[in-house]
Amino acid sequence: MPIEIPKDKWAGSIRAITIGATSAEGGTRSRCVTIGGETTMPYLHFEAPTPNKPVIAIEIKSRKPEDWSPLLMEVWGEAMTDPAQWAKKSEEAGADLIALGLTVEDTPDDAVRIVKSVLSATGLPLIVWGPGQAEKDNEVLVPVSEATKGEKLVLGICEDKNYRTIVATAMANGHLVQARAPMDVNLSKQLNILISDMGMPKERIIMDPTTGALGYGIEYGYSVMERLRLAALQGDAMTQYPMIVTPGFEAWKTKEAKVGEGVPEAWGDWKARAIHWETLTAIALVESGADIVVLRHPESVARVKDAIEELITA
Amino acid sequence: MYIIGENIHIISEKVKEALANRDREFFMDLAVRQVEAGAKAIDINLGPRKKDWAEVFPWIVETVESVVDVPLSIDTTNVDGMEAALQKITKAQPILNSTSAEPERLEKIPLLAKKYNAKVIALTMKTEGIPVEADARVNIAIETLIPRMMEIGFPMENLIIDPLVLTVSGCQQYCPHLIEAVRTLQYAWDPKPNISVGLSNVSNAVPNDNRPLINRVYLAMLMGVGLQMMIANPFDEKQNNVIRWVETKDTSNPLARLYNKIAERIGAGEEPQLEDFDLTDPEQSEIWKTTQILLNKVIYADSYLMN
Repeated sequence: MPIEIPKDKWAGSIRAITIGATSAEGGTRSRCVTIGGETTMPYLHFEAPTPNKPVIAIEIKSRKPEDWSPLLMEVWGEAMTDPAQWAKKSEEAGADLIALGLTVEDTPDDAVRIVKSVLSATGLPLIVWGPGQAEKDNEVLVPVSEATKGEKLVLGICEDKNYRTIVATAMANGHLVQARAPMDVNLSKQLNILISDMGMPKERIIMDPTTGALGYGIEYGYSVMERLRLAALQGDAMTQYPMIVTPGFEAWKTKEAKVGEGVPEAWGDWKARAIHWETLTAIALVESGADIVVLRHPESVARVKDAIEELITA
Repeated sequence: MYIIGENIHIISEKVKEALANRDREFFMDLAVRQVEAGAKAIDINLGPRKKDWAEVFPWIVETVESVVDVPLSIDTTNVDGMEAALQKITKAQPILNSTSAEPERLEKIPLLAKKYNAKVIALTMKTEGIPVEADARVNIAIETLIPRMMEIGFPMENLIIDPLVLTVSGCQQYCPHLIEAVRTLQYAWDPKPNISVGLSNVSNAVPNDNRPLINRVYLAMLMGVGLQMMIANPFDEKQNNVIRWVETKDTSNPLARLYNKIAERIGAGEEPQLEDFDLTDPEQSEIWKTTQILLNKVIYADSYLMN
């Protein structure tokens, strides 16, 4: 008996957003990355193709992070002491974008110098995060934004307590912003409204719904992503943004990934487990509609890339 | 609409202060003004008063009853406090606010209501919490609340079922279900049970500027499915207009027509349609957006009117 598969036809779609500018567009990137544009729920190819495949950013830091897992220290080695080197190795590892985290120790001058060195070392589009303290974020992100005018960086992270300065400087210098709300659809939408209300063009907002690692709240994360995506497809303009999530950060916080000693033997090989943790967290989020996943380990990057290829060609 | 006036509530700083000073004039004035504004009963929520209930509950009853004749709704979780209030009441048949389907409360409070010939508000809530689905809330009424009342020979006309309004800010998916619960509960028993809701809960945690709008749009929807009693702020004039327009089917101005249309649509099991609204009128446009968040069509955000 022939079975007719029911198809949804949605009123709304996700905005397609381009990160990075080549010389033709007033920047220095060797290529740009376009994300979003979806017109249905993730990977329902029988309803509509996925117009832009999800991309992977590799997270690097302006200074060698002392609190990262020894497994990450081992794989990145000396490159961790030089953000330019680290970015280069990340590009070789298959990153589509670089996510550079500045730290509280960086002065505004340091921040500008480091961001410029990363831009010179790689042709990939760049996401730049402040250290995560409102005052400090504004202090370093504003000069970075001005010094890189036209590069179409993603600046972040905007949160409800601190978004105005970042949005204003991004608007003035042609950059994008990452808008983060704490796993709450109402607050995600609210922040998007506030940022749009400042006059930020809608093609320059990427929303970050916040997520949790496998075993640490990922189901809250993907439920929020699903709800935001459904709202967007139903036509809610203030949720029609591509989504960025940080499974690398979340997964490498977990005991399962971070430490190899003092854990039950039944947990098995540490390295295998840690990479599984990051990979599975990331793939679950890709399947929930993430447009950018930010990862830390090159092996996870390779695996998530394979999974994305399979999803796209399936 | 039978409004139980909500304004004597300990959440208000003024009420808190007046109570601390045992300011009789304050409470007398607030009670009289609520009745003058149309309240048919007065809710009294001074909290559980764990330490001074024996003095506070009789004091407030005596104070309020010295100026108004309407029923008092004794709104507390303190059962001893409720009884102290009941013993002092001399005027209209009081209301106990509230019991729920939680075993301990359901054991004691209906018996207390029966003993003092009070009405009782019963919440469709179990120990596990409040179910989202309308059917589940109706089932709590049919399977737990009403049988308990039958068991103790409590007159059904004294039972008021409250299917629990939750806020659109955080519990948005509950909002349309509450409308359906109000609709269905009226068929849950013969005779038709009394139903009341705490209207302003729908806008808890919403910025103050938007609360009255959300309250009155939700009210029009609930009146559409037959709501006749609620705990609410009787001083809200725009809300009182909506009540009057919908009750009298007054369509003499565009807003009155619109609120009637919303009530009519919801009553018929339909959704308000864009064509019902004149979106060039900013007020109607805001009402349209409010219907969309209350029906869980559009995700709520504090600035949803800017969306």
